[in-house]
Amino acid sequence: MAVAETPPAAPVTPAAQATPIAPVTQVAASTGPLVPSGPPRDGPIPPIRAARTPRTDCKPTKAFVPEPHLDLSTYEADADLMTLSLGPQHPSTHGVFRVVLYLDGEQIVKAVPYPGYLHRGVEKLCEKLMASNITPIIDKNDYVAPMTNEQAVNMAFESLMGVEVPVRARYLRTVLAETQRVASHLLWLGTFGMDLGGALGGGTSLFMWCFRERELILDLFENLTGCRFHYNTHTVGGNRHDVPAGWPEMLHRTLGAIDERLDQYLGMLEHPIFSARTKGVGVIDADLALELGLTGPLLRASGVDHDLRRDAPYHAYAEVDLKVFVEDAGDCWARSKVRIEEMRESIRISRILVDNLPPGPICSTKPLKMVGQHKLPPGQVYVGIETPRGELGTWLIGGGANKGSSPYRLKIRSPSLHACAVIPYVLPGCSLSDAIAILGSLDPVMGEVDR
Amino acid sequence: MAVKDQLAALEAERNYEHPIYDVLARFPGLDIATTSVDALLEWGAKNSLWIFPMATSCCGIEFMAAAASRVDLDRMGTIVRGTPRQCDVMVVAGTITVKMAPRVKRLWDQMPEPKWCIAMGSCAISGDFYRDIYSVIPGIDIVVPVDVYIPGCPPNPESLMAGMMRLQERVSLKRAGKPVPKDERPETHDKTIVPKIGRFEDRIAKDPNDRTTRLQELSARTLKVQGLELPDESGE
Repeated sequence: MAVAETPPAAPVTPAAQATPIAPVTQVAASTGPLVPSGPPRDGPIPPIRAARTPRTDCKPTKAFVPEPHLDLSTYEADADLMTLSLGPQHPSTHGVFRVVLYLDGEQIVKAVPYPGYLHRGVEKLCEKLMASNITPIIDKNDYVAPMTNEQAVNMAFESLMGVEVPVRARYLRTVLAETQRVASHLLWLGTFGMDLGGALGGGTSLFMWCFRERELILDLFENLTGCRFHYNTHTVGGNRHDVPAGWPEMLHRTLGAIDERLDQYLGMLEHPIFSARTKGVGVIDADLALELGLTGPLLRASGVDHDLRRDAPYHAYAEVDLKVFVEDAGDCWARSKVRIEEMRESIRISRILVDNLPPGPICSTKPLKMVGQHKLPPGQVYVGIETPRGELGTWLIGGGANKGSSPYRLKIRSPSLHACAVIPYVLPGCSLSDAIAILGSLDPVMGEVDR
Repeated sequence: MAVKDQLAALEAERNYEHPIYDVLARFPGLDIATTSVDALLEWGAKNSLWIFPMATSCCGIEFMAAAASRVDLDRMGTIVRGTPRQCDVMVVAGTITVKMAPRVKRLWDQMPEPKWCIAMGSCAISGDFYRDIYSVIPGIDIVVPVDVYIPGCPPNPESLMAGMMRLQERVSLKRAGKPVPKDERPETHDKTIVPKIGRFEDRIAKDPNDRTTRLQELSARTLKVQGLELPDESGE
């Protein structure tokens, strides 16, 4: 089976799995016969050109029967279950997310997640906009890591339109993606500390420390793009903003300071209260993780060695030797360990690549200003990249009648949605306080779940 | 205006409990003391605004950044609480969808008087570019009354702090019984928004600038039909 979720309407045959497919930066535009003029489901859709190499060394699941919750009928005799609605407004659900918990005492018997409180119709909105207008809207999907969102959608447009990205832009994109990963994991660590409460200095200390360092990275981005939060710095064919003078030194200073402080966070993992709250809590088996399509740190913490940056390198990841951290336990502690180690690796890669930024242009196309300046060719492409939360896939169909430069369909495969799918499987059997720790360790972003 | 008239005006306007004031007002000749106590209470009220974060999306992250170490909203006397029953200010930070709006209304109703509301970010003010989508409320001011608008996408933590200071002025004006100026809702540029998607598509196409009718119809269709009450979701 494929590691990540297969995009809809595209059954991957075993023969297609066996042959490795070219990485995404080399995928030319697919000029297949697809001209979507009627309803989307009309007629056969040619198979997608997958932009990632399927992993073959993952062991397949056999006869996996998911059991999301215990049988409630056994509890009817007692009729002593308490129903607790956690959310949609709750500080520890990380956004507007609702989980209905059925409690037997303090033990969770059943958990039912209800997403959809932040559904903003982004995919439908994108069908009426062109690429340069889509970029700032896609920013708001995963609002903790906007850089990687922009990269995903712009890489899909580049693949479909056959636009080459200059080497300098590829290096800069790698630096930005890795720095964004550090910022995103820092925000996760801060809120995770608040979720655990008294784990470290009352919980708020960790939040303050992590935001202190996240602000440094936001300063870095503000110097480059002019924006603190939603950058809109990527475009089809490259980047908009070149590196200003003194920026690499600033990056070295910032990331060097953060790198020193990461030792404290790694030492925090051995803290007795932190270990007691996280070790053995919320264990996700490798089989369950693969079955539900988990990617990113969640999958690596469950013992599956999978990272798109190394397995299907895009940007400039082929130029560096990336260390991928894998933990076998699959509990909240392993997920914390993987994320903190990833921060250190991201800092190392960023500092190497920013020293070796090649000279040259930063964008290969002229800025898109008018609707219809660049027309999307008919065809479809799937691009998956490794965001801080896992594989963010963009399935883009171009062409169609009266569409011009806007896509016929833009489907986003968000890693957070799959992270939320694990809740009914993991929460039963835990106590209520463990549920908060597990929800925090999954690190879902609701803008990405509901879209 | 005589002090007694002021007191009578305050008495007529106030809609909150004021136990110290009530005790002092019973004694004759203590007008001076009551005004001093009023000044003290006003100073206390505007410097101890407890915040209830109605944080749904990106603006919530900037709200967290404002509450964190660099900008440190706490030095204005604010404390961020997770429950509406202890709070004075609701900061609506982020997009409010049709599914979320009844919850916002219910949480607002649970807050004790006197209370204020801040619309942070363009999504809370007008819905931003999601405002013609079928599932998004175009502006939170059709659900709860808004005192201060903070534009931006998202606003900087410094902008949020400026908005809080603007709110402090309003709080002190209201406590002093003076007229509170209405905060102007920032206008949005309708022509930059291309897509009209959703159930209001046809009517919007007729008159894109007719916001009043649109809001009325929206509330009639979504909020009034639901009675601003939570649907029965206990259980499945």
